[in-house]
Amino acid sequence: MNYKWDFATVFANPEALLAGLAGTLRIFVICLVIGLSLGLIVGLGRYAKSRWLYVPASIFVEFFRNTPVLVQILWFYFALPILVPFEVSPLMAASLGISLNSAAFSAEIFRGGIQSIDRGQWEGARALGMSYPQAMRRIILPQAMRRMLPPLTNRGIEIFKMSTLASAVAYVELLQQGKLIASLNYNPIEAYTVVALIFFCVLFPLVQATYALERKLRRAD
Amino acid sequence: MYQWDFTPVLANAPLLAQGLVNTLKVTGTALAFGVPLGLALALLRLSPRRWLAWPAGFFIEFFRTTPPLVQLFWFFFALPILIRVEMTPFAAATLTFSLQSAAFFAEVFRGGIQSIDKGQWEAGRAIGMTQQQALRRIVLPQAVKRMIPAFMERAIELMKTTTLVATVSYADLLYQANEVAQKTFRPLEVFTTTALIYFFFIFGCSLLAHRVERRLAASGEGTVH
Repeated sequence: MNYKWDFATVFANPEALLAGLAGTLRIFVICLVIGLSLGLIVGLGRYAKSRWLYVPASIFVEFFRNTPVLVQILWFYFALPILVPFEVSPLMAASLGISLNSAAFSAEIFRGGIQSIDRGQWEGARALGMSYPQAMRRIILPQAMRRMLPPLTNRGIEIFKMSTLASAVAYVELLQQGKLIASLNYNPIEAYTVVALIFFCVLFPLVQATYALERKLRRAD
Repeated sequence: MYQWDFTPVLANAPLLAQGLVNTLKVTGTALAFGVPLGLALALLRLSPRRWLAWPAGFFIEFFRTTPPLVQLFWFFFALPILIRVEMTPFAAATLTFSLQSAAFFAEVFRGGIQSIDKGQWEAGRAIGMTQQQALRRIVLPQAVKRMIPAFMERAIELMKTTTLVATVSYADLLYQANEVAQKTFRPLEVFTTTALIYFFFIFGCSLLAHRVERRLAASGEGTVH
């Protein structure tokens, strides 16, 4: 156990780490925006009475919830290019896999949140003459949003962690850059420790904030 | 139009089957170590002694807030240098996923134990049981029943997470699929088949979990998540 730790070599080329951090943030934002908005659409489809909306939305949700994300990413990277006429970049493959997976999980959060709102709220809105979309937008979603906030924040944290899978298709993000630094300087211990600590330092405050939010909402309910 | 041809996949079915067996082996081993370790961590975290509760809490939060792939790389590439041992992909994978799932199982156990009414503890103490006896005979049996759904959900999550071992060249289903795809030049068919194998396997487990959950709900047992 008398290994001499030397973290200086990890920070010797800060551009590499910064490029990785930028790549991680880029894919995180893309997947968060696409994943959650598509999740809302699919969630509304799952909640719909029409079978034409319900069945495809359910198949989508079950398929993407029950297959590993890494399999999806590799499918989009290696298999999809055969079917489509354009090139699939690592960023595109990874964000497709992570976004669709997150959409499936968040769809269930949206559906649960909407279902948890009392029927009387719907009836009240309809009695005032609102159409279905108006009632959904003005009455139901704002109330449901409060209850959905903690699980949606959890999803966001999951997406941030999942972004590391993009390194499997050689997309430049933090873990991929850690790998690069480790192979350049022969310092895997320090390189991977730094990467793990960066993730921990970013996510730990977020997780604590989610816990605090959950406690606050539970007291308010 | 692309001509689909699944015969190369069928010809390599034994390789994929071997991969599925290895996937189950990692999942099973990680479960076998992760569950008892998770229980131990939960009990430590619930301890009134701060020097026991605090390190357990830190361990749990650390493994829950760092990406599993980063942990796997650390255990595979960094740890062997640090403690000078030879690390096989299987050892690194089971070590990572045991510790990682232990952190998640600890939270399931904690939720289950905390959901049990304080009166149960007090009654146990009142008839002369020690804290350990009350935990073992009264609280845990009730808590475990409530935890079953959350527990199965975690086990399914774990099976999905084990695909990461393919990145350190352990021959799980995904790794074998990649090999077969390169060998046959049929990535579309191979990866589609692999995705479907995972889907049917995991979907089957999910359906089973839902059934158990409904049965527990019918028997009037609340559940914790």
